This record gives sequence, structure tokens and C-alpha cells, in this order.
Amino acid sequence: MKSTGRAYRNLILFSAPAFVVYAGFLVIPLIASVVLSFFRSGEGVSTFAGLDNYVYLFTNGSTSERFWNALINNFEFFGVHLLVELPIGLLMAALLTSSTLRRSRGVYRTLLFIPATLSVVIVGFVWRLIINPLWGIVQFPLLGDENTALPTIALMSVWEYVGIPMIFLYTALIAIPDDILEAAKLDGSNAWSTFWRVKFPLIAPQFGLIAILTYIWTFNGFDIIYALNGSAPGPDYSTDILGTLFYRTFFGSSGQVANPDLGATVASVVFFLILIVTALYFFVVQRRLKNYEL
Amino acid sequence: MRSKLAPIAITAASLVMLGLAGCSTGGSASSTDGGDDVTLTFATWRTEDTAMWEDEIIPAFEESHPGITVDYAPVGTDDYNAAMQSQIEGGTGADLIMCRPFDVNRAWIEDGYFEPLEGTDAVSKFDDTALAAWTDVDGNPYCVPIASVLAGFYYNTAIFDELGLEVPTTQAELLDVLDAIKKDGTYAPLALGSADGWQLAYNVLYSLGPNYWKGEDGRLALIDGTQKLTDPDFVAGFQAFEDLKPYLPDGYESLTYEDMMQLFTLGKAAIIPDGSWDISAATATGLDVDVFGAPVANAGDQRYQQEMPDQGVGMNAKSEHKEAAQEFLDWLATPDFQSLYVNKLPGFFSMGTEPVTYDDPLAQKFADLKTDADLTPRLALDRLSAGTPPLDDEIWVALQNMYNSDLSAEDATAELQAGLDSWYKPGQ
Repeated sequence: MKSTGRAYRNLILFSAPAFVVYAGFLVIPLIASVVLSFFRSGEGVSTFAGLDNYVYLFTNGSTSERFWNALINNFEFFGVHLLVELPIGLLMAALLTSSTLRRSRGVYRTLLFIPATLSVVIVGFVWRLIINPLWGIVQFPLLGDENTALPTIALMSVWEYVGIPMIFLYTALIAIPDDILEAAKLDGSNAWSTFWRVKFPLIAPQFGLIAILTYIWTFNGFDIIYALNGSAPGPDYSTDILGTLFYRTFFGSSGQVANPDLGATVASVVFFLILIVTALYFFVVQRRLKNYEL
Repeated sequence: MRSKLAPIAITAASLVMLGLAGCSTGGSASSTDGGDDVTLTFATWRTEDTAMWEDEIIPAFEESHPGITVDYAPVGTDDYNAAMQSQIEGGTGADLIMCRPFDVNRAWIEDGYFEPLEGTDAVSKFDDTALAAWTDVDGNPYCVPIASVLAGFYYNTAIFDELGLEVPTTQAELLDVLDAIKKDGTYAPLALGSADGWQLAYNVLYSLGPNYWKGEDGRLALIDGTQKLTDPDFVAGFQAFEDLKPYLPDGYESLTYEDMMQLFTLGKAAIIPDGSWDISAATATGLDVDVFGAPVANAGDQRYQQEMPDQGVGMNAKSEHKEAAQEFLDWLATPDFQSLYVNKLPGFFSMGTEPVTYDDPLAQKFADLKTDADLTPRLALDRLSAGTPPLDDEIWVALQNMYNSDLSAEDATAELQAGLDSWYKPGQ
């Protein structure tokens, strides 16, 4: 009895610092930002405006055009990440666990993960030079064409971060006990069918996790686009995503006057988009995933 | 033993430091209140010029004005506006404040940040166009202009000599020159790309265009609503911009501002439209570079030169040392200060009516572009960008679309006017 009381006291004592920091720097600003999105300020006073900011953001001619454009671009940005990062990450993880690599595994693992440790600014700068039509390897202005600019930036970002799904899948693959694989071998399964019929189902839950992390990461995305194209990312806003739209609205740009209320509204929309999809994932998808006891 | 004492020692040390810091700020405040010596603080966003101000300019002022010392207090340019607003509203603002041009400053004037300067010696040395960026809605000045930037067309004189080309003075001559360079094929005619929208506007359209919309006439008419972007003068200005399209280098859609300058300084392009702030960059590789102003539509037309007000200095209305601050402002208006300042900062120009000589030959050539030309600032930064969608940003995108996706001058101006009409009500 006494020991449980002490355990609880210790629990509170040890989690308090983290709780205070988390509440002070994340929860309170988040709530403040959502609250700000319900107000409209002008002439030095702030008045409650209900959902006006949201209605304005979704329906006002020029503002909503930018918003829907950024939202669609953001889904495209997410789609390219998911569709390219997952298969490549899986391939690299599978190759890393292959028995022929036994000695140099550490070297390859490190090499493949190194881009994820680089600064976005450096990645953007190097890639921009590589694909520069003046002194680069392609003549086509990939970043200057509205149709190719966003996929190009997304692929740069995939190049940088592909190490992360790779490590997720790699750790899942090496967690599979050898006796299962030996049993499959004894049953006459070759490497190909062992991978698809034994290993793949065992690492499948990782895909859901990677997908949801990619979703959160791309909808909070901002840095690589801002580093390459600034806060009004062209050509013709074709690389504008919600992060850059938020930045431009909240802080203003060269000519645009800052509008913190509307900026907070964009930030809240991003928050709700992430919240809803993450909640759906945890309550609907995660529960149905089969987890095998190994 | 050591580990037990260490936290106490650190706490004690930091308390002492805090105490000292408190004393030092308290001390300086009290010493400036009474007595002869006055310390003025000067807030600015030019962090990069700190050494120049502290080592050269402020000592020159202090020498001729004994008893006044000036503290240079820079804040990074991205944080400057917010920092000034919170400081001034919190009552801790600097005595002297560097003024942003146009809308930001007008908002600050309306909030009562600045002491009016109407009738002072300082502003009498400038004409109305120079003061316009820092006036209130009725045209009363609040800041002393100290520097502007110009834009023009840099050209590689060696390439011009090699191909036997003359400096163009009309749009038709400009296109002929570009055509000749293109036909020769050795060099790119123009180092110009559309990846960065702002420079298409600031260095090309706002340079070429005023020759068609007649500088201030057109710009002010747009602000008071008597003209629209769809009027023939403006469409012609946008058309002059579009005329350059055939002479852009391959892959121009993704050429950035930095790429353009590299292309030019490597001697691979003949002409680059750029701002005067790039004087040092353009000559960095030792090229022989000269500059010409935006060509006029027809021979004999009045020439217009873009001059963008960049920095002014105003006085905090709540300053406790207004006399000393006024002395400093008066000094900023003298040719002594102006020639000192612009020669330390090649690429920036004095806005005063008295002539200033420039040591840098290219800067002098830029300054010469102002003679015989009517001056005009960038088209859309005054009032027209204070709402959503901001006209200036919209112009950047429209210009990119004109080069990248064949948007015509008529359609571009129609789109821009529609965007402006959606929020801007002239005369309010």
C-alpha cells in the first residue's frame, strides 16, 4: 500500500518536468493558436468572430484559391513521398538483410542513412545545382515547370529521408526469428516466396506506421520548399503547400501584410487534418492489423 | 565537495551578473537624463553595416557634435518590424528609428510612433518625390531619406566591343542589340531567368515600364483610381517586358537570381537587368562592366529611372532627447554624411538635392542615370499591396506566367486589375 503511494508520487515527480515543458511549449501554444483563429483583430482590438475566419479561408475568392491549391499540392506532396519512399525503403531494407551482404552491411546501412542527417538547405542547394539547366545534368527546367516542380522537390525530399522507412523495415526484418525462416526453407520455400509469404506479412504493420508518419511529416512540411522557393513558392504557386501558405499568411511576405488571425486559422486547419487522420488510423486501421506472436 | 558547491557558485555568479546588468542599464539611463552628455540609441535593420556605422560614421558625427554619443542598435531585418512595434508600444523604443518605405511606415506614423519633421532643416534638403516614401496620408514628412537603390541594365563592354554594338536608348534599339547577340550565338543576350519572380518585377518591369506609364503620373493615377492596369499605357509597359522573352537563355524557367549573376560574371551573357546593390557582385570577377538605363519607347521621349527609397531615419515621438535627435537628423541631411555613407556602401544612393560624388566608377555611372530622368519608385509597393491579394506579389506571379506559360500582356493586366479591384478602394 505504502509502496504504491510512493510509486505514484515518484511517477508524478519524474513526469512533472516533461509534462511542464510539453504543456508550456506545445499544448498551450497549440490551444492559443486555435483560440486565435476564432478572433479577428483590427484597429488594436480583437473581437470574437466565430467561424468567420474559416468561412473566409474556404470561400473568399483569392484567399480560398490559394488555400485549396495548397491543400491539393500537399496531398500530391504526400502521395509522391508514400509511393516512392515505401517501395525503395522496402527494397533497401530487404537488400540489407540479404545474407550475401553480411560483412559490409554496416557500411551500406550507414551510407543509405547519411542523407537523412543532412540539412535540408544543403540537400536543396546540391540538388538544385545538379538539375540546373545551365550547368547541371538535365536541360529541362524541372523546377521551372509547373507540372514537374512539386514532384521534383518531393523526390529531393524522398532522397533525403528514404533512410527512415528503410530503418523501420530493416529493424522489423531482423526481428524475425531465424527458426521461422529455417522452417520455411525446410518446407521447400525459395527466397522469393519466403520474402513475400513469410517476411512481408510480419512487417506489414510497419507500413501503416510509416504511412501515418509520412502523412504527419508532409502536412507539417515547410522547410525544403521554403529553402528552395521561398514563402511564395512558384512557379505560379505550384509548389505552395499548407506550411508555406501558413508562413506567408501569418508572418506576411514582401508585399503581403501579416494576418495572424488568418494564419492561425490555416495552422488550425493543418492541426485538424492531422488529428482526424491520425485518430482514424489509430482507431480503425491499427486495431485491425494482425500482430503475430513470434 | 566540488559537486555540492558548484550549483551554489553558479547561482551566485549569475545573480551577480544579473545585478551588474541591472545596474549598468539603470546607470546609463540616469546619466543621460541630466547633465550635458546625451546618448541617443539608433535602431536599424542594417546589421551588416554595424562596423561601418560604429567605426566611421558615428565618430564623424560625434566629432562635430560634442556631448552627443550615438549607440547603433541593429535588429535583424526579419524581426525588425515586430521588434520596433513592441519596443515603441512598450515605451522602450530607440530615440532614432530607421524607417521602412511606404505602407509599414505609414502605419507607424498613424500609430504615433514618429515626431513630425515638417519645417525642419533636415527635410528641406529633399524634394517631395524623395520624401514621399515616408509621409503620412496628407504628405507630411516623418523621416529623413538616407539611401535609395536604383535599377538598370548592366552590360559587358568587352562583348559589346567584340560584336560592335551600341548602347541602346530606345526599346527598338534594345531589341536590335539583343537580336544581334542572339544571331552571333557566342553569348546569351540576357542573363535573365524566371525562377525568382521578385526580380522580374523589381529589375525588369519596374525599370522598363515607367517609360510607358510615365513614371509618377501612372503610379499615382493607379493609386487614386484615375487609371487602371488595363489602360493602354500599362499594357504597353507589360508588353515591353514580354518583348524580352525570345532572348532568355535555355531553361530560363528554373534559373535563379544567383544563376543569372553567375552567368553574367563568367562572361557568358552580355546584359543583366539588376539593381544597383549588385555593383560589387557584377564586377567581382574583374569584368569591364558598364550600365545603361531602361530604354524609352521612342527616340526623344522623356526618360524615367526607377529609384527605390530604401532607408530613412525618423525620431521616436516619445524620445527624451529630441533636441539631440534633431541635430543628428539635420546632420544626416548634409552632403558630408551623404557622401560618406554612399561611398562606404556602393550601390546605395543619396536622395538629396545637392549632388554627391561617388568613388566607385560604376556607382557614379548609376548615379548619372538619374540626371535628366524623372524618378519613380517601384510601381506596386505604395498602398496597392496593403490588402489581399497584394498587387506586388501578384505581379511577380503574373510576370513568371508571361514568360513560362505565354500569358499575354492584356490578360496579365486584366487579371491583376481584377485582383486589385477585389479589395482596393481608391481614395480611402
